[in-house]
Amino acid sequence: MVNTGLIDKKANERTMDDHRRTCVPEDRDILVDIQDLCTYFYTPEGVVHALGGVDLQIGKGRTLGLVGESGCGKTVLALTILRLIPEPPGKIVRGKVLFEGTDLLTLDQAAIREIRGNKISMIFQEPMTSLNPVFTIGFQIEEVLMLHQSHRAPTRKQARELAVELLDMVGIPYPGRRIDDYPHQLSGGMCQRVMIAMALACRPSLMIADEPTTALDVTTQAQILALMGGLKEEMNTSILLVTHDLGVVAQSCEDVAVMYTGNVVEHAGVEDLFSRPLHPYTRGLMRSIPTVEARRRGEQLHAIPGNVPTLRDMPKGCTFHNRCDEVMDICRRERPPMFRPHPDHCVRCWRYANG
Amino acid sequence: MKSILEIRELRKTFPITSGVFRKSAGVVTAVDGVDLDIRPNETLGLVGESGCGKTTLSKMILALEEPDSGSIRFEDVDVVRARRSSLSQVRRGIQVVFQDPFGSLNPRRKIGSIIEEPMIIHREGSRAQRSRRVGKLLEMVGLHEDILPRYPHEFSGGQRQRICIARALAVNPRLLICDEPVSALDVSIQAQVINLLVDLQKELKLSYLFISHNLSVVGYISHRVAVMYKGRIVELADAPELFENPLHPYTGCLMDAVPEARPKKSLDLMSPRRGGGEQVFPDPSSGCAYRAWCPRAEGICAKEPPVLEEKGKGHLVACHLAV
Repeated sequence: MVNTGLIDKKANERTMDDHRRTCVPEDRDILVDIQDLCTYFYTPEGVVHALGGVDLQIGKGRTLGLVGESGCGKTVLALTILRLIPEPPGKIVRGKVLFEGTDLLTLDQAAIREIRGNKISMIFQEPMTSLNPVFTIGFQIEEVLMLHQSHRAPTRKQARELAVELLDMVGIPYPGRRIDDYPHQLSGGMCQRVMIAMALACRPSLMIADEPTTALDVTTQAQILALMGGLKEEMNTSILLVTHDLGVVAQSCEDVAVMYTGNVVEHAGVEDLFSRPLHPYTRGLMRSIPTVEARRRGEQLHAIPGNVPTLRDMPKGCTFHNRCDEVMDICRRERPPMFRPHPDHCVRCWRYANG
Repeated sequence: MKSILEIRELRKTFPITSGVFRKSAGVVTAVDGVDLDIRPNETLGLVGESGCGKTTLSKMILALEEPDSGSIRFEDVDVVRARRSSLSQVRRGIQVVFQDPFGSLNPRRKIGSIIEEPMIIHREGSRAQRSRRVGKLLEMVGLHEDILPRYPHEFSGGQRQRICIARALAVNPRLLICDEPVSALDVSIQAQVINLLVDLQKELKLSYLFISHNLSVVGYISHRVAVMYKGRIVELADAPELFENPLHPYTGCLMDAVPEARPKKSLDLMSPRRGGGEQVFPDPSSGCAYRAWCPRAEGICAKEPPVLEEKGKGHLVACHLAV
């Protein structure tokens, strides 16, 4: 097996000073600064490099969209930030997650528990299964408040009032009545609203949303995205939005990071990325979105050939080289570092080695 | 041109039961008077939100669910009343590809035997003929014959969907029902499967009923598109016409809600009248089911249910206010 970690480290060292911390403009406040993050899974079949040296910054009060296909490590990254990776088989091998200046990876269990739910909260893809079916939604929101705000210690009654307020804020009609409903009495969209209410209960500075609208209908999806955007403005919360849908990213994010096989391959502002995608993978993804116009022109859909390589058996050099239509010799030999061909636009591709 | 599938006045209700004794507490109307035709060598797209009756409709076409009333004719066979030999003819002519390529292949059987099974059920060919046909099918869907002795878990989602398509094509169907066939796949793989379906249609002169909630996929692959809302077809038109000139307010709402891969189309997302599938039903027995969320609703909408009428060339819409 190729020691991908080593190659990557070497590549990083060479360009570390020039390129590493540059995707976000210098005058912007950074909330989360992820540096060279590696998470591996040790399985009987071999070591899986789920994250192979990720560098990523999330600006304060901004929404970062994390896109990529299944198995590219999006969710592992989200879980690594919250230290929710099951160990074993998983292990955070190296790297830093600087959150408001502290490295989350060095904290002990008690300290990280203080952060989870309080400063960083998470919502998941399936709202129906992430709520406990045997308790009312009111009880579950109150629980969050009483657990995480223990120092302020709201009484049961205060917590209930707060919960009603939260439900009202996320747009649930008749919150005073719906608070005593069980999850099965609500639709998928309503459950996701409840999840958002729980996630925002303690006014976190970062909300991680892992495919929050994938299980919902388009009209409901539009409502939930609008709701998240509005609340973000109101509370000045940063959002890490994990999704596979480029449309969702275009509509609701300010920055975008594209992931492929456990690494960020392109990172830019949303306008920049969509008007000028640089990485061949990003361009392929964009061209494979079907449209009515394309069909009328009689075009075949552009499909990226081949499959995503399994993380256990990654190709040497650039992990995209065997699906890339612009492959060069160097791509087969060496893994590319992050280059910065434009200000605030980083890309991990040898094509941009000379700016 | 004569239709390959003709659906007339189709209705299906499900009883709601409650309590230990399963006392009847009312009915849900899943499909409410649907008329639909599919022409030979045509792709008819069917869009709508979850719970609008798309899947119930497809189950009735496959004779897996019995309608309360109405008729379905497939190539001159009455699907609803068909028994034994004619039903087997229907089932050979209509095959289906499901959404979840992980759940629809038996994990304990090899790929070869999975693809061969429909031919065994319909007693087609000798063993040698069948195995030649399996090889041919694999080639058609872009897979290699080497995979025959392998098991489903060894394949990725896109490859499994190809296997499902090969199995569906085994008995030479004329109509393929694709129930969200690419929803579970990644974008780049999704494009591969869509291209495959388009190519197969040209090659084999197939008709597709393509069910999806993804408007851009439906718009790309379909010749005509039907929009379903609460069990009824509310709009039906050629795909380019529908996307350029949606007449029903619900169709417009659906299209606005699709997040386009272009930053800041500046949606009016917060509009409170934007109707999703999640609110309560207004009284369905009277008037238009969409009236509670329709920005243009007038008095007549509450009184009379709109019927599907032609407004312009081949463009059908069920709305009192459409012109």
